[in-house]
Amino acid sequence: MTLRDGPPSSAPTDVELVRAHVEGDPDAFAELVRRHRDRLWAVALRTVGDREEAADAVQDALLNAHRNAARFRGDAAVTTWLHRIVVNACLDRMRRRQAHPTVPLPDGNRDDDRPTGPEPVAPAPDQDTVLVVRDALAALPADQRAAIVLVDVQGYGVAEAAEILGVAEGTIKSRCARGRARMAMTLGYLRGNRNDGGTVSSRSEAAGSLPNGSERREPR
Amino acid sequence: MTGAEFEGVDFDLLADFVGGALDGTPDGQRVATLVAEDPSWRAAFEALGPAMAAVGGALEAFEPEPMPADLADRLDTLLRTAETPVEPVPVVPTNVVDLESRRRARRWAAPLSVAAAVLAFAGFGATWWVSNQSMDNSESTAAAGSTTAEQAGALPAFAVTSSGTDYTAATLPDAPMSETLSTGLALPDESAPAAAVPKTPGLSRLEDPSALAACVDAITVANSGGTLAVESADFARFDGTPAVVFRFSAANGVWAWAVGPDCGLPGAGADTLQNLPVR
Repeated sequence: MTLRDGPPSSAPTDVELVRAHVEGDPDAFAELVRRHRDRLWAVALRTVGDREEAADAVQDALLNAHRNAARFRGDAAVTTWLHRIVVNACLDRMRRRQAHPTVPLPDGNRDDDRPTGPEPVAPAPDQDTVLVVRDALAALPADQRAAIVLVDVQGYGVAEAAEILGVAEGTIKSRCARGRARMAMTLGYLRGNRNDGGTVSSRSEAAGSLPNGSERREPR
Repeated sequence: MTGAEFEGVDFDLLADFVGGALDGTPDGQRVATLVAEDPSWRAAFEALGPAMAAVGGALEAFEPEPMPADLADRLDTLLRTAETPVEPVPVVPTNVVDLESRRRARRWAAPLSVAAAVLAFAGFGATWWVSNQSMDNSESTAAAGSTTAEQAGALPAFAVTSSGTDYTAATLPDAPMSETLSTGLALPDESAPAAAVPKTPGLSRLEDPSALAACVDAITVANSGGTLAVESADFARFDGTPAVVFRFSAANGVWAWAVGPDCGLPGAGADTLQNLPVR
């Protein structure tokens, strides 16, 4: 995947849409969002882990981008800029949620009776595995989760993820590596993992909480 | 991560090694030696590599999920009816420039344009004022247009202290505000010997005003909240790591923002260690 999946050759570029929006075209920004909304949504959903929180974060972020588009100076790709704003909105919500924790329902929805949009078009081959992996991802520290969502789930390059998150590429590599290692331990993928009695456990056997402990400083 | 499952092995360090984060570093060499010579490290390495790869495969298997139709419709309506941009100054360049060259240019022409800034550096009883530096750059000046001049006027100065405080996530929002500026201290003699400047181990690069300006620029980008009104920068530590702790306000609120020594370096972004809203 690339962040720069372009529009058809005859269509305006992302930069041209931003410029048109700044110059007063009422449809330009909506068109820009239509191009990228599915990827922005996927990043927000996987990062926040809650559909309503993700929807609120995406909406806040895009309205913020809409208001401040004149300040976009083209020193990053438009998509990188949009992703950065969405990810920051997600991380901000996660920090606030940590300060005032709530207990999400198992499927990530706050209210089972409330429709929250379509579920995936086709179920994954092994839904149990997907759910377990999703839970392990959701248990990661926010910084590791955001890096893993961008690189491992959404397929963005390390450099692009570094640009989005405003950190060095080495930091992205470290966050991804440590996040994968934590998930491997949680999921019982490690030989000799005492969580599963010394054998490789089934992927459906999610361990409980992740191990805690003081973290080393990530390399840059 | 505790690494208790593999006694004697620093699991985070080994994960960094497996993930390539230590490539070309002394730590990488050290871990390679441990893996080669220490049975515990070798066993952990042989277990962790395939396990991390398996996790990567499981993550890649996530099905893509399009934005829910109701949210897409709501956004479409909101974005069509929302007010026009608050700053209707067309500063979008007509050509998309090379990302790396712009990043290099930003080091010398920060969007905040601290060209008029005077930094107050007060720590350990000493006060040091850094004279302003010209950050002129024709490319960025042309790109930013009149906005640059406005921003320069919007950020006349901010205080730089060197408290040495070891902040944590709990204490970060208490980062000091700029009281020295509001009290109207007179500019000291700029020829004061550099020896009076308090040095912060690991942060010497950011004691250079141009590097600090580039750092502020990187934070501006990372924050995505528009122009920053920086109140203070404190050369300190965060969770034991050398850090500069900024306090600033922007369109998205007031923030305390801790950055590492690489803040503002090309490719390093803001090197953010922690950022929290100040309430």
